[in-house]
Amino acid sequence: MTDLTGMEKEQLVEQILLEKYNNYYRLAYSYVHNEADAGDIVQNGAYKAILHSDSLKQKAYAATWIYRIMLNEIFRFLKSNPVSREVYAAPEEIGGKLAGKEDRYQDVDLMRALDTLPQEVKTVIILRYFEDLTLEQIASVQEENVNTVKSRLYRGLKKMRLELAY
Amino acid sequence: MDENRKDYERLEQVKQQYKQINMSKEQVEQMKKRIEEAKQEKQQAERKQQLQQKPAGRKKPLSLKIGLTAAAAAAAFILLPNISKDAAYAMSRLPIVGGLVEVVTFRDYQYEDERHRADVNVPELVPNQTTAPVQASDSGQTDAPVQTDGAGTETTGNDSAVQENLKKTTEEINAEIRKITDQIITEFEENAKDKEGYQDIMISHEILATSENYFTLKLICYQASGSGAEWDYFYTIDLKTGQRLALADLFTEGADYITPISENIKEQMQARMDADENVYYWLNDEIEEWNFKQITDETSFYLNADNNIVISFNEGDVAPMYMGCVEFEIPGEVVEGIRK
Repeated sequence: MTDLTGMEKEQLVEQILLEKYNNYYRLAYSYVHNEADAGDIVQNGAYKAILHSDSLKQKAYAATWIYRIMLNEIFRFLKSNPVSREVYAAPEEIGGKLAGKEDRYQDVDLMRALDTLPQEVKTVIILRYFEDLTLEQIASVQEENVNTVKSRLYRGLKKMRLELAY
Repeated sequence: MDENRKDYERLEQVKQQYKQINMSKEQVEQMKKRIEEAKQEKQQAERKQQLQQKPAGRKKPLSLKIGLTAAAAAAAFILLPNISKDAAYAMSRLPIVGGLVEVVTFRDYQYEDERHRADVNVPELVPNQTTAPVQASDSGQTDAPVQTDGAGTETTGNDSAVQENLKKTTEEINAEIRKITDQIITEFEENAKDKEGYQDIMISHEILATSENYFTLKLICYQASGSGAEWDYFYTIDLKTGQRLALADLFTEGADYITPISENIKEQMQARMDADENVYYWLNDEIEEWNFKQITDETSFYLNADNNIVISFNEGDVAPMYMGCVEFEIPGEVVEGIRK
C-alpha cells in the first residue's frame, strides 16, 4: 500500500497539519508550559513533517507519524532547555487562566501529577485520554509494542492514583 | 466504583481545560509560512537530485541502517561531550529551581539503532553560591563564573558553613549518581555489541521538592530488554544544614520510627488491595519470605509538598514488577510525637 506519490504525501501531511495543529500545540504546551515555546515546537515540527513527507510509508500512518515528529521536537526542546522540564506547572500557568476558580484546586492537582510522570508515560496518558488515540496508535507513535504502551499507561495511572479503564 | 466515576469526572474536567488551549492566530500564520518554506526546500532538493541523477549525490536517507560489524555499531554511538563547567554554570543560571541547589546536565548520552536505544541524561547538583538573584550577577566580569569555595562576598559566617556542607554533599551525591549511571551505560554498551539483543535504557530525573527546607532529586533509571524495569534513587538535602538527609534525621533520637511507618504501610497496602483487585502487594503472600515486613534505614523516601514522608519502593521490592515503583505517603499523625 505504498500507493501515494510524493506530491500526494506532501498534501496529505499538510492537510493533517492544518486540521490538527491545535492538538499538537496542546501536547507541546503540556510539556513546556509556555505558549511561545509550544508554538515554536509546532512550527518546527510542521516544517520537518513537510520536508520529510516522502519518508511516510502508508497513508494510514500519517497521523501517528506526525505525532511522532512533534514529540521528537518536544523532547529535543526539553533536552536543550533542561531547566524548563523541572518546573512544575504553576497553578496560574495551567489551571488559572483556563479554569474557573472553583474547580481549580482539583484540576491543578491532576495536571501536576501528570507533570511528575516520566516523559514517555505522560505521553501515553495524554494521547490516550486527551487525544483519544487507541493503544495501537500510541504504540505506532512511540514505536513500541502495545504491551509496552499498556504498561506505561498502567504505571502512569497508578502514579496519578487514577482508576480508569484503558 | 465510586472512586472510579470520580476519577473519570476529574479527567474529563482536565481534558476540557486541555482542549481550550489553542494556538494564536499569529502562530498559525507562522506555521503556514514554515510549511511553505519546507515545500520550497523540498522542491529544490528534488530538482537538484534530478539534475545530478547519480546515486552518490543523494542525501543520506533518514533512517540510517547500521552496519553489522561491531566496529560500525561502536562508531554509531553518539557520545556528547560532558558539558563544560562554564556551560553548566551558564545553564544553571536560567531561572528557577532557585534556592541553594540547582540541577544541570552532567552528561547527555543518546544512542539509537534498530534494537538498542539509550536516552540518558545524567544530572548533576550544583550548589548555588550566590544567594542573590541570578540576573544580578550577570554583568561583565562575573560572566566567567568561578567557584569560590563559598567564600562569597555577601555570605555570612553561618551561611558559609552551610555552603561548605552543601558543596561536600552535592559532590558526594554527584559521585554516587555517576557511579550508578556509568554502570548502566557500560552495561548497555556491552549489550549493544551483541547483535541479537534488544535493549532500551533511560535515565532521567525529577526534582521532587524544593521547599525552603529540603531539596529532593529523584534519579529515574529504566532498563529494558524483553521486559522493562524502573528503579529510582532519592537524594534529599537538608537546606538548613547543607547535609544529606537520612530518614533517621527526621526523628528525635532513639525514637522507633521504623515500626509505626511499616505498620502504616501495611495498612495502606491492605486498603489498596481491598479497594482494587488489580492491586497486589506482597503482604500476605504464600511465599512468606517475600512479604513486606518493615522498612529499613536504606528504604527510599522523600518529603512531599505537605511535608509528609513518602516511602518509595522500587519495582519488585514489595509487589510484583507489573505494579511498578510504589509509594506510600505516611500521614503526619502516624509519626506525630517522634518527628522533629
